[in-house]
Amino acid sequence: MRSARRAAAAFAMAAACAAGVAEAQVRAKADLHCEPAAEVLLYECTAALADSRTGEPLTSLAVAVGADMPSMAGAHSVRPVAATEGPAKGTYRFRLALEMHGDWALLINLSGATRDRVVKVLRFEDGRVGEATPTRR
Amino acid sequence: MDDYTIGVLSNIGVVSFVALSAYLLLLTGEISFGQQAFFAIGAYAAGIATALWGWPLAPALAWGAVSAGCAAVLVGLPTLRLHGLYFAIATLAFAEMVRILFELFRYQVEIDGEPVGPDGTEGFRNIRYIFDHNIDAVQFLLLIYALLAAALLGFVLLERSRTGVAFRMIGEDETLAGLQGISVARHKVLAAGIAGALAGVGGGLYAHLTTYVEPRIFDVMLGVHSLAYGLIGGLGTAFGPLLGVLIDIGLLESIRVLAGYRMIIFGGIVALLLIVRPRGLLDERTVHGIGDLWRRTRPRRRQPGPGP
Repeated sequence: MRSARRAAAAFAMAAACAAGVAEAQVRAKADLHCEPAAEVLLYECTAALADSRTGEPLTSLAVAVGADMPSMAGAHSVRPVAATEGPAKGTYRFRLALEMHGDWALLINLSGATRDRVVKVLRFEDGRVGEATPTRR
Repeated sequence: MDDYTIGVLSNIGVVSFVALSAYLLLLTGEISFGQQAFFAIGAYAAGIATALWGWPLAPALAWGAVSAGCAAVLVGLPTLRLHGLYFAIATLAFAEMVRILFELFRYQVEIDGEPVGPDGTEGFRNIRYIFDHNIDAVQFLLLIYALLAAALLGFVLLERSRTGVAFRMIGEDETLAGLQGISVARHKVLAAGIAGALAGVGGGLYAHLTTYVEPRIFDVMLGVHSLAYGLIGGLGTAFGPLLGVLIDIGLLESIRVLAGYRMIIFGGIVALLLIVRPRGLLDERTVHGIGDLWRRTRPRRRQPGPGP
């Protein structure tokens, strides 16, 4: 009887672990703005990070930004670059050096008080950066 | 270990699944350009399970594997009579069909006031399980390699089993294998299902690793790469495709001076090896040679002598 109770308790614990009860995590959202720099394929970007639920700017985070091309996943990965906090609250600035023009998925990794990742897909062209509009092929 | 190294190692682990998937079909003599379709099905299925249905990760990965495996069996059955180029084209066509279907597929649920789920060409974002459950990068890396180790153990056992021998016999000469009493059709469908499930596991892990997938990721280049890893690394052992992945992602991607020329060098390696070593670096002869060397150098157990 005792062993059955122990087994049931162990099962309940394992089930709870497996269910992975989620804590209330901060979910980040990012507004991204990039401008071409003087050199070709170099872009100056600013990300405004905020809590997606409350809209509160996220400050004092370690932000690293990597990039990959969705159309050629893994073929042109850009090493993550560290972003520095900008003058405005919740803004982070970084410089991106890409290998070619086209649609790039920017992976904005947050760590520190908040751990999260935001993915933004932008189209990087010569002289301009805009929203990616993936079309059916 | 810095985040970049962890990211590269995680990518190596995840891509190894789709490489092993293509390798298994190569064992049966079939060239598939379509394993990326099962990678995609696994990614979307596992992502939907955790992000939309709130499932735990393990059942979600299993669901991704089962979905991809079933899809592979559905493709394997009608393509049984196809060989060589025709089979390759059929798998490529299926993969493109899957990719285009995902461009049309929309299934969104409102979570915390925002729509989450596959959104056609916009892709599927916010597959946030590892962030919502405080699974850090190293823990997820360990999970990837634990599952990869299990897959490799499965391959080691398979290669020593009658089924594994049957796969290789079918790959050598299907007609002769049939005359030996092997059910060629059954074994081919079995291989297709296992290969699909393997790719599905990789896809599920990929979706949770990157938190974002879109149909463009699963295009023909991924299929070609997965095939090339086996051809480069070798078809003598399941470690061959892993060697191919290590050479591509581990070496060419990570060494800065080579990174910009990675695709050129990779293509060159494939072309060169197909000429000088068609079965890859770890081909059957090399693997048997390593096995013989191991047996000769292993200390022998002393045999009990005759009694007094």
